[in-house]
Amino acid sequence: MLNMNNISRIYRSDTIQTHALRDFSLDVKAGEFVAVTGPSGSGKSTFLNVAGLLDGFDQGSYELDGVNIQGLNDDELSRLRNEKIGFIFQNYNLIPDFNLFDNIDMPLRYRGFNAAERKRRIANALEQVGLASRANYLPSQLSGGQQQRVAIARALAGEPKILLADEPTGNLDSLMARQVMELLHTLNEAGSTIIMVTHDPEQARSVGRNVQVIDGQITDHSVYAPEKNNAPIEVNA
Amino acid sequence: MEMFNYYLKLSVRNLKRNRLFFILMISTLAVGVGVFLANIAIIKSMANDPIPHKSDRIFNVTLNIWPNENPSARLRETMRYDDAMHILKNEIATNTLVHYQSKVYTRDINSDNLSRYPAVVRATTPDFFPMMDAPFAFGGAWTEDHAKQVVIGDSLNQQVFNGGDSVGKTIEIDGKSFEVVGVLKPWVVKPMFYHVTGTQAFDISDDIFAPIETAMDSEWAINVQSSQTEQIDSVSDNRGKNGFFIQAFVQLDTPHQKLAMQQYLDNYSQHRKEQGDFLRANDNRLLDVNQWLEHHNVVDERMLAFAIATSLFLAVCIFNASSLLLARYHSARFETGLRRAIGARIKDIFYQGLVESMIIGLCCAALALVFGWLFLKISMTLFPKLQYTSDIDASLIIFGVIIALTTSFISMIYPLIRSCQTSLSTTLK
Ligand SMILES: Nc1ncnc2c1ncn2[C@@H]1O[C@H](COP(=O)(O)OP(=O)(O)OP(=O)(O)O)[C@@H](O)[C@H]1O
Ligand SMILES: [Mg+2]
Repeated sequence: MLNMNNISRIYRSDTIQTHALRDFSLDVKAGEFVAVTGPSGSGKSTFLNVAGLLDGFDQGSYELDGVNIQGLNDDELSRLRNEKIGFIFQNYNLIPDFNLFDNIDMPLRYRGFNAAERKRRIANALEQVGLASRANYLPSQLSGGQQQRVAIARALAGEPKILLADEPTGNLDSLMARQVMELLHTLNEAGSTIIMVTHDPEQARSVGRNVQVIDGQITDHSVYAPEKNNAPIEVNA
Repeated sequence: MEMFNYYLKLSVRNLKRNRLFFILMISTLAVGVGVFLANIAIIKSMANDPIPHKSDRIFNVTLNIWPNENPSARLRETMRYDDAMHILKNEIATNTLVHYQSKVYTRDINSDNLSRYPAVVRATTPDFFPMMDAPFAFGGAWTEDHAKQVVIGDSLNQQVFNGGDSVGKTIEIDGKSFEVVGVLKPWVVKPMFYHVTGTQAFDISDDIFAPIETAMDSEWAINVQSSQTEQIDSVSDNRGKNGFFIQAFVQLDTPHQKLAMQQYLDNYSQHRKEQGDFLRANDNRLLDVNQWLEHHNVVDERMLAFAIATSLFLAVCIFNASSLLLARYHSARFETGLRRAIGARIKDIFYQGLVESMIIGLCCAALALVFGWLFLKISMTLFPKLQYTSDIDASLIIFGVIIALTTSFISMIYPLIRSCQTSLSTTLK
């Protein structure tokens, strides 16, 4: 599903070069739920940005769902982002004066779906995150956990191949965090591939596969959590 | 189309959300476009072809006449009574007119009201009306050279007789009675090409049209820059003397007529030369209406300088609007980044910006037309000469809309490019 080989990403400023990622290789199979952990500044977000095509890279190769990313133009990259990737951000990134319907509608618009199809998908996505009755609410009328679920609904509505979540529970208290994690687990069980950056070791342990990033490199490939009986689902990509 | 509607919806929401900002920005642009439009309106009417369907067939007659050797070889715009009469005699032109301008005081002789109204007189010949396409509401021109008859314009008719068919009524002009034989419909010639001498190209059309002989008999003062090379005691004394105050126009419909007319003039000046007149080289000119206006620099150079100034002002307004927008887009880059992250192409962001600039442009156009109209009214109050000359007509409205759209697009383009360039990973955390 996602295959990175010796990726390096260097941030250059006038005075310093930061190797945010170096020789970064990772292979994620379809259906996997991967937790990415590591100290602050180690390159987790950079990895997720590269994976989500929000950022480019300097060296290496990256294949997403069988498509080689190298050399794609903006139209092609945008299309991949739109169709194959669902983003979940730490601070939800909802548009405050759009109601839930319009927020979830955004990626579908760029996909070119007609009104009926968009409506169907939005209803479906809201249903999946348990907010079916609130399509007309504004984000500010919801709790943080609910807002994050809207963000997840937005990511889901396009039926992406892979969900990328950067500390999705970072802004939530433990109760709401648990609800969001339960939702992610449900989605994973239904077949979604998920990569999630987290600082919470317990969350990390709860998922199928752990990856640790230190200093821009993967140091620990797969820490399983057998006590949770949560073995990775091996599905051929 | 669906995307267009979506962009439209987003733009309207954007405009509503940042109402104050956009009002400010649109006003900035609209003031610039408005001033520009008002200026164009004035220039356009100055450069207007006053009689488009026959401007290439009406010619001013300029004789190179001066009884003595004169070092300054400037073309004379006026001629003597005798020259005018000779030109009037030609059997070549379709229409021939000669005229001079005067100013008189006038009233309805039967009115109880003793106040008199100042009036501009065109002392001329009957061909004036067909040549200028002056439209009669009632009656027609006089037929006798010395008739005590006049044709009056619409506004004087309103003023003196309260409008209506005044043919047959008697009008008092400088104390003497004259019969009204014709009344014109409202009629403006802009610029007033038959009398561009001096700074009067944008005067309001004449009030009274009278036989030139009658005007001279009545001693109606010559209200033109005139000159003389001998003692002349009165207006009527100009007959047979060297007083220069009459202008002549001929309508020549064919090239053949024009050639013949030129020959007629040259023969005349040759003849006068033999009698000791016309000591300068033969240089008799027939300039058509537009050549004649150009010869007189009717579109003032100061006006053109002003046009450059208003263009620069417009540029400053665009610059201002652009920097305002730059700040706006900077604060909106979160949303732009988010849209890009979930699959909007740079193109999509750009198209959305275009739709927004179109809406801004249309608002700006509407406001600019209002401003333009206001500026024009203000200019007219400040400079009454501009009255009746300048108007915002349909073509100018279309021009205004195009300018406003272009302006808004230009001010949008740089901020838009900048907002498309923002890196995604830094705007979204
Ligand atoms: N736009 C940027 N320009 C320059 N340096 C950057 C940029 N983004 C990240 N970096 C650097 O790259 C390194 C990795 O940053 P990254 O955000 O990926 O860390 P992280 O693992 O997500 O940290 P955290 O857990 O705090 O979110 C850091 O040293 C950071 O300073
Ligand atoms: Mg991070």
